[in-house]
Amino acid sequence: MVTESAHEFETRDLLLNVGPQHPSTHGVFRMVMQVDGEVVRDVIPYVGYLHRGAEKLCETMDYRQGIGFMDRTEYLASMNAELSYVMAVEAIADLQVPDRAQWIRMILVELNRISSHLMFMGAFGVDAGIIGTPMIYGWREREAIIDLFEEITGDRMMFAYFRPGGLAWDVPTNFAARVQEVIAAVKQGIKDLDGLLTYNEVFLARTQGIGVISAADAIDFGMSGPSIRASGVHLDIRRDEPYLKYSEIDWNVITATEGDVFARYNCRLQEMWESVRMVEQCLDRLEPGLIMPEKMPRMLRTPPGEVYVRTEAPRGEYGIYLVSKGGNRPYRLKVRSACLSNLQALKQMSVGQYVADAILVLGSIDIVLGEVDR
Amino acid sequence: MTSENQPESATDSTPGATLDGTIWAEVDRALAGITARAERGVLDLIVHIPPAEIVRGLRALKHDTTLQFDYLRCLTAVDNEDEGIDIVYHLYSTTARHNLTVKATLPNDDLFIDTATTVWRAANWLERETAEMFGVRFNGHPDPRTLLMPEDMDDTFPLRKDHPLAEIELLQGDGMGYTEEDR
Amino acid sequence: MAVTSDPTAVSPAAVPAATTIAEPATEPATAPAQPATEPVILPVIPGEHPAEAPRLEPVEVHPGKALYKQILPGVMQIPLDLVLGASRKSSLWPMTFGLACCAIEMIATYMAHNDLDRFGIVPWPSPRQSDVMIVAGTVTKKMAPAVKLLYEQMPNPKWVISMGACATNGGPYTRYDRVLQGVDKIIPVDVYVPGCPPRPEALIDALISLQELIMEERGATGR
Repeated sequence: MVTESAHEFETRDLLLNVGPQHPSTHGVFRMVMQVDGEVVRDVIPYVGYLHRGAEKLCETMDYRQGIGFMDRTEYLASMNAELSYVMAVEAIADLQVPDRAQWIRMILVELNRISSHLMFMGAFGVDAGIIGTPMIYGWREREAIIDLFEEITGDRMMFAYFRPGGLAWDVPTNFAARVQEVIAAVKQGIKDLDGLLTYNEVFLARTQGIGVISAADAIDFGMSGPSIRASGVHLDIRRDEPYLKYSEIDWNVITATEGDVFARYNCRLQEMWESVRMVEQCLDRLEPGLIMPEKMPRMLRTPPGEVYVRTEAPRGEYGIYLVSKGGNRPYRLKVRSACLSNLQALKQMSVGQYVADAILVLGSIDIVLGEVDR
Repeated sequence: MTSENQPESATDSTPGATLDGTIWAEVDRALAGITARAERGVLDLIVHIPPAEIVRGLRALKHDTTLQFDYLRCLTAVDNEDEGIDIVYHLYSTTARHNLTVKATLPNDDLFIDTATTVWRAANWLERETAEMFGVRFNGHPDPRTLLMPEDMDDTFPLRKDHPLAEIELLQGDGMGYTEEDR
Repeated sequence: MAVTSDPTAVSPAAVPAATTIAEPATEPATAPAQPATEPVILPVIPGEHPAEAPRLEPVEVHPGKALYKQILPGVMQIPLDLVLGASRKSSLWPMTFGLACCAIEMIATYMAHNDLDRFGIVPWPSPRQSDVMIVAGTVTKKMAPAVKLLYEQMPNPKWVISMGACATNGGPYTRYDRVLQGVDKIIPVDVYVPGCPPRPEALIDALISLQELIMEERGATGR
């Protein structure tokens, strides 16, 4: 109980329930905040409102059917989720992916990273109080990217395009021209969002200095992605354990030092520029060729073994732990979700902030409940 | 006490040569006093530690100066029906950039293991999820509530192999006309 | 002539002839006294009835045509339930209830590319002021009490759109025992939208079908 200086109030902390239906919880996430006036003293997160059993259901599906479930865990960055899964199957089955498939996979994965960060910009702007404009700007460019994905894969969101070994089918013949168009539109969109938010005085006043987490704490909690890079930890799986062709192109790892909400936002914004550069370089290196290895079996059977494959999804480290005991189905499939580990640090980051700032902190971690709950 | 200089692999045959190029030598030195067994996985090295000494082993791996496994990537379990439940830890070092997989096998009649939250705070939610999915009890866990399950549904364990999938329910009422005979 | 600055002095030319009686008002001015030289003619305002026009005339009534339409042209008669139905359908405010992946397509439908605001559909976070609940995503057994509570918190008239395969019958996750196999097990649903996720055009189609349904109901108050 805290008493104000000149007044003899007897105060009690209030238990404030946020969610599971709330405009700013980014999905069905519930937290119970113990507030003293307007200052948050304790946060108890409740997850599991979207637990749909993707892991158990994948044990009954063969390797091609399971790709659809991986899409639906990280539904904003489905290509990244599929990539982890097919890479795990390729590692166990020892399949060599042809070069053309790898370059195309890189382009699609980076474009998906851009579209996921654009969604973050929109939702984060709404959390900061700018209801409308960042959301509409971000979604305008998302539609350009999603139109491209629809031309290639046939679906706007749940692509199911990657297969163990390569891709399902080859990209259309005007792929390079279309990607150039999309990149031009995306560059303009990022510039718009940057000009709208980054140097906005109100935005800076709202986001700087809150939700700070130190590098040591972030490592201890197992955070990953832009959330940990904003605290100064140079952890990026694309550089540390390169997969696809990340070691052959020229790009930078974006880090910041403050570890606050603005640093996380800025990291994501600069990552979008890096992704644009990466896509342009990949387009130059794209050459005609195969997209699946020759002599792929119709029904893929894997030898016994286990593997843990991790890739850098937009939110952090998306890992797939796959145990196979022979046959065409996984014996155990575990999805290591970046958002679940990032959410563990929520209490550390929000205690001592105002309620409105705690909402911003939750928004800056950028959670996708499909991944947290699977 | 591992007295042999040549580490043995889990599958029967050739010791030593299969583990060259891995960090097994440093791991073995760090786990001095703990009977550990290693095998080579597809990407990482897999080390088997007895469940009673798991926390001591993990702490030794974290604080060892050459290994420095300061990052817990993943903590999960695998249900090997009759042979017990494996608890699997995936470790990573942010400074030295190497990986390790640690496994502890629990027999089916004794599903208790010590918690790793004292070593890494990341283990907190991961152990809660493993406990409710497999029925494993983590001794000393600071917050043993269910994570993904509803609070009142914590008596069945979905990810065990003997837990069935749900049947598709018939459409209910309102003259839709679907009955048991129509199926 | 010189303009005097004395406000009380009145130039003789401005005084009408009727007031040339020099006597001050010792007697009440009952009669306009002597008739003036010129009669006072009131100006005729165009459009008004002149004083001599007949004021009351019998109106010709044509049988078969409503009386009020012949007396007061320019008035429409519409049944009240049609007005109620039209006003309910033209301003549907959905409660933002995105649960899972379908929520992203729902948000895409609200955004500028596929605009829902042109139909009068504005997303509203609070259940107390919204008309329709678009259940977008999988309903798990942990979430089901919250869904039921939110449905009961919405005031009548209310409708429910079940968007996507998961809300219809459990979708791809129907074999998992912690998933509710369709949201119509706990709340009544009016429109089902298939798809995983349904395209924005499909959601717009569902909302237009809901509008047609509302017009068929014609403002019934029993909901």
